[in-house]
Amino acid sequence: MKKIVLSILLSLPFLGQAGGFQLNVQGVRAIGMGGAFTGIAYGPASLFFNPGGMTSIMGHQFNFGVNYISPLVALQTDVNDNIRQTTGYATPFHFYYTGQITNKLSVGLGINNQFGSSSSFDDDWQGKFIIQNISLRTFMFQPTAAYKLHEKLSVGAGFVYTSGSFSTEKAVPLGSATIDYGKARLEGKGVGYGFNLGIHSNTIDTDKMKLSLGFDYRSGTKLNLPEGTATFTDIPISLQSTFPATTGFSSQLKLPSVISFGLSYTYNLTEDFSAMFAYDYNYTTWSSYDSLNIDFVNENTPDSKNEKNWQNVGAHRFGLEFSYQQKYALRVGGYYDSTPILDGYVSPELPDADQFVLTMGLGAKIGNILEFDVAWIHQDAEREASLDAANFSAKYRRVADIISFSTTIKLGQEKKAKEPSI
Amino acid sequence: MKKKQIILFTIVASLSIIGCRKVDFDVVDRTEGEADFTKYIALGNSLTQGYADGGLYEEGQSQSYPSIIAKQMSFVNSNMGEFAQPMTSGNGSGYMHLEFINNEIDVISTTDPNAYTESSTWADWGTNEKNFKYNNLGISGIKLVNCVDLNSTDEKINHLFLAGVQGLFNGNPYSRYLDWGGNPIIPFSEPPIQYVDHVKSSGATFFSSWLGNNDVLSYATSGGNEGTTDLSLLGLGVVKFSGLSDPTEFHAKYDTILKALYDMGAKGIVATLPDVTSIPNLNTITVSGLKETGWADVWITDMNGNVRVGTDNDLIILSASTNIENGEGSSQSNPLDKDLVLDEDEVALCQSRTIDFNNSIVSLAAKYDFAVADMHAYMTDLKSGLAFDGINFTPQYIEGGLFSLDGVHLNPRGYAVIANKFISEINAHYGSNIPKTDIGKFRGIVFP
Repeated sequence: MKKIVLSILLSLPFLGQAGGFQLNVQGVRAIGMGGAFTGIAYGPASLFFNPGGMTSIMGHQFNFGVNYISPLVALQTDVNDNIRQTTGYATPFHFYYTGQITNKLSVGLGINNQFGSSSSFDDDWQGKFIIQNISLRTFMFQPTAAYKLHEKLSVGAGFVYTSGSFSTEKAVPLGSATIDYGKARLEGKGVGYGFNLGIHSNTIDTDKMKLSLGFDYRSGTKLNLPEGTATFTDIPISLQSTFPATTGFSSQLKLPSVISFGLSYTYNLTEDFSAMFAYDYNYTTWSSYDSLNIDFVNENTPDSKNEKNWQNVGAHRFGLEFSYQQKYALRVGGYYDSTPILDGYVSPELPDADQFVLTMGLGAKIGNILEFDVAWIHQDAEREASLDAANFSAKYRRVADIISFSTTIKLGQEKKAKEPSI
Repeated sequence: MKKKQIILFTIVASLSIIGCRKVDFDVVDRTEGEADFTKYIALGNSLTQGYADGGLYEEGQSQSYPSIIAKQMSFVNSNMGEFAQPMTSGNGSGYMHLEFINNEIDVISTTDPNAYTESSTWADWGTNEKNFKYNNLGISGIKLVNCVDLNSTDEKINHLFLAGVQGLFNGNPYSRYLDWGGNPIIPFSEPPIQYVDHVKSSGATFFSSWLGNNDVLSYATSGGNEGTTDLSLLGLGVVKFSGLSDPTEFHAKYDTILKALYDMGAKGIVATLPDVTSIPNLNTITVSGLKETGWADVWITDMNGNVRVGTDNDLIILSASTNIENGEGSSQSNPLDKDLVLDEDEVALCQSRTIDFNNSIVSLAAKYDFAVADMHAYMTDLKSGLAFDGINFTPQYIEGGLFSLDGVHLNPRGYAVIANKFISEINAHYGSNIPKTDIGKFRGIVFP
């Protein structure tokens, strides 16, 4: 037989892209209370949860928090009884500063990691042609100003500059006499812009009780990844014009907007004891993440277009805090989170599921300057679902613990005698 | 409680919960269900024998779909013996491969100077251990109608096809590993042994059968040439070695085989026949493809010997590429030979005969309560593309990822897909839970 000239059109779908995983760990006090914080104006973390609340924060305050997230993920397929992700731990952090310029005007700066995910598998695992490793990190920088329109009403707005980077690796199902399969690695980084707008109202504020309402809108962000690098290794020589050692690519990642409504109700039980209840409803527009497309610079490399079809979802968050002498606080909370990922679109790198999660936390003040908070989240979810485009289905089990710690330093509060009740 | 104690308590409590958190899935309890896989045999042709890339060779054979199924069955039955196959060594009968020459991927056939030629042991393969009870009873080239003798003419033709006549007629080399008994053409010889006799003496508790493909395929891949041979000298008249088999004969003979298995108490699974007209062998060189390379028209010879302009309903066989490079088919005076084209009437014959055969297979399986793997539907689904664990497959030649270089048989990854289909249907019918195989662990095309 003579030459067969092949116009090889080997598609290489990148299904396993982490489009987003919202990290709801942006304030340790909030974490302990199930993440319900939109209606609470307390501490520098308000800059993130609701910048409208910043005007209630006295003096100059600095908050630095770090979270230790250690997920365990196991899969069961009709091939393997048990597959473990080899994902390591992650330590997203947050830093906030808020300062009172006048009684009506406050400014601040926040830096945090609002979205991120990472997943790793053994290189030769069953789903290696879908995903081997993936990591997405984002850093948000948010300069913010807030203004007290009225004793009972404040507004705040911040500009959000996002810097993101991601890398992903998957096996390429093409082999030669000496190599079982190739490998593709994509690395990209880019920036995006957004804003954070909040309204906060101390609707009722008496000696005995306090009711606050809050609304916050964090805009979506288009993260342009214009100059990514694709690296193909272990590709048979005859196919290296299709999958060259290295080529560029461009893509775009759309991070969702988050709309939150929250309330908090504080009741002073005795001179020493007070209790606060908080509730948040968050609506995340994950439908922005409708598809993920990768355009390679090398003409012969087939572009990858993938429908993700994520759904907008709501989350209910509840928290309770008991405090003693406004010095020590015990917090418990919970949230019910719906997954944005429909059956048929669940990729092994992000086996998200509907879940009800309990949280708890503690806080303590040392003098008027220092404050320490710890919190703990335990997530445990199971789901059976498929990734139809890859024809991969599995039972997933994910257990994750998040331990969070933060320090707050408060300076220059003498301007006002009375600190707002917690 | 003091603040420090509270904090300490929380940390200790948290760590102790983290320390014993459980995420792993338990080992699945495996069961055979109503089946017994202790002695599994595989009936079939080249697809079953592990033939690929135009040959039977060691590496391909070691990844035959029955051997994959057997390995997976051993997870639910620890008493299974080794799944014995009549193994070739090295290149076996020789096989096709790819080379990268002048920036082009070339298909190197077994007659090319650079070919992977037959191994030195091939000439003697299968001749020494004829009494061994192999589990894989696949024979490349065998038709279902060769498996059972209904009358004395049948007996002679089938024996001739399988065993040959020494010095006169070469039998099927791929059937050498079985003892076919005496030659019925020679008076006073031992009685012949039929294929179905090997099935009966196998002691099988479970079987898979994917017989019948060649009852259509050999006609299709020879462009509708029926392989008419005059064997009047042997008293057999005119024999059509690659004709389409007769549906009534097909039904009766398949019934004989399945009844034999049923009477043995074996359980099993039968597979339907894919539409052979969709295989890459018949869909890689196309009329419209040739026109794209500058041909004005493609001239073919139809089944009745008439020369006409071909359309995309006329399928050109892959091995016509050499003839085409020599200009055959480019003009009315130099048309493609009728053996190189399965014209649209022949395509229709193949398709309707396949449906007849599949109706028999499905009804006979129901009669004996055997499971059915509907490979006809499965391979039809493949036309629009299938994926498994992130690997995409199409029926295209080479780049489709499923077929081997001969465009008829599958590569190991394709055979693994087939094995999983059988496993699904076995599990569904018998209530077993044989784990599937990891398709990604099997190679596809070996690219240069």
